[in-house]
Amino acid sequence: MTQFTRRSYTAPGKIDGTDSDFVCHHCGAYVLANPVISGVNNRNHCPYCLSSRHLDLFEGGDRLSACRGSMRPIGLTFKRGHKKYDGQTELMLVHECQACATVSINRIARDDDVVALRTVLEQSAGLSPAMQEHLKAQGIHLLEATQSELPLLTAPAGLYTQYPEA
Amino acid sequence: MNIENTDPKPGVVFMRTRETYYVQIGRERILCTASTKLKQEIVVGDFVVWDDKHRITTVRPRHNQFSRRAAGTGYQQQIIAANVDQVLIVMSVAKPRPRWNLLDRYLVSAEFAVIPALICLTKMDLVQGTAQREEIEAVASEYASIGYDIILTSTQTCQGIDELRSQIQASISALVGQSGVGKTSLINALEPELALRTQDVSHHSNKGRHTTTTSQIYPLPAGGFMMDTPGIREFGMWDMTEEDLIYGFPEMRPYQHACKFSDCSHHEEPGCQVRQAVMEGDISPYRYQSYLKLREDL
Ligand SMILES: Nc1nc2c(ncn2[C@@H]2O[C@H](COP(=O)(O)OP(=O)(O)OP(=O)(O)O)[C@@H](O)[C@H]2O)c(=O)[nH]1
Ligand SMILES: [Mg+2]
Ligand SMILES: [Zn+2]
Ligand SMILES: [Zn+2]
Ligand SMILES: [Zn+2]
Repeated sequence: MTQFTRRSYTAPGKIDGTDSDFVCHHCGAYVLANPVISGVNNRNHCPYCLSSRHLDLFEGGDRLSACRGSMRPIGLTFKRGHKKYDGQTELMLVHECQACATVSINRIARDDDVVALRTVLEQSAGLSPAMQEHLKAQGIHLLEATQSELPLLTAPAGLYTQYPEA
Repeated sequence: MNIENTDPKPGVVFMRTRETYYVQIGRERILCTASTKLKQEIVVGDFVVWDDKHRITTVRPRHNQFSRRAAGTGYQQQIIAANVDQVLIVMSVAKPRPRWNLLDRYLVSAEFAVIPALICLTKMDLVQGTAQREEIEAVASEYASIGYDIILTSTQTCQGIDELRSQIQASISALVGQSGVGKTSLINALEPELALRTQDVSHHSNKGRHTTTTSQIYPLPAGGFMMDTPGIREFGMWDMTEEDLIYGFPEMRPYQHACKFSDCSHHEEPGCQVRQAVMEGDISPYRYQSYLKLREDL
């Protein structure tokens, strides 16, 4: 196996279609990618079932992965590094590829379904110890259900589906 | 002086302007026009036969031709070089920045034309001692491991010029690439006496100014012939179908017949061995991305 160099200075230009609407491979929903609605620039998962596809390799939107597997949400974590003013860091969604077991961390979009997020949080307690270890080895610490008194998870879903003010 | 060419010995077109063809036969150089009866296009590198009025009447069948889809509307072929032993694909490592994806397009075209390709990265002096240089060298070695010859050059420091000279001996090579990458400068480095016109790239866009406007073949004293060509901006594939596109990527060929579906497009299909090889690190994800992009553009 060759290790292919990540190209940054000579990175390819923007890939077409990374910011267009898509149909969710898991639940079949039509997903709007408009950043005004999702609040994120690179909408990569379905707001209803939170699934996505394994398309990126080095960074979001590079479309350099050949896997195409289904990425299912397995838990929540805090974003590494950047602390916000109130000491909180951004809440992130952890995905695992069903085809190749790659784990990735993704931003939660403004219109992600809060109930679905809560379900992911609850079910993540049931992950196998091996999986928990695997995540820890990569420096990913899953949020536990008891930590869920977070604004995002307790707010009514409607708040996030409202059209945002300009 | 009229050099009649009634016996079938052809001369080679070494340059053309709008209506004039400059033909070399032996040590003689003559000017020709195209016979109105000739239906075929005449390009630099063609072997031609002419009549007593210096009208080209016949174009000998080409051994090969390197072409692209002509820019603009319509679906037309543009022949960039004919009857060459190799194409020298020139790409600068800065000013303008390399576009590997564009290199892949040239390489695919060379594979289909069955013309050996030599990759020539220019302006190495501009990335001296930077992380950019490391990236360039790493990617260059990825191309080398596919089996492509690749030379890193600088006409400023003369890096790679001797190596280049040895790779073009006794052959006719066509220089191809974007405007401003330093094609003409390479000929000047190989043969300073030619002192061909080159020009700075634009400071704003780092794009070339289309300095060379016609193709021309130059004999090099140390041996070999170089065909200089005008820089081109985009490189669309000519006459290629989705089914055989993969042939243009030599490192992918071994996998294609192992795919689960015999008509696999190597994109989304389950059981695709090409995709699998990318996953396992046997094929570059960037080359695979080039394949997919090209597939969309056909
Ligand atoms: N620093 C540096 N500049 C170079 C080198 N080679 C060429 N250049 C510069 O790049 C500019 C463009 O070079 P040309 O040789 O005219 O490029 P070209 O590929 O022939 O361009 P077109 O004729 O427009 O297709 C000129 O200003 C050259 O001096 C190099 O090795 N190092
Ligand atoms: Mg030139
Ligand atoms: Zn879905
Ligand atoms: Zn995967
Ligand atoms: Zn396949």
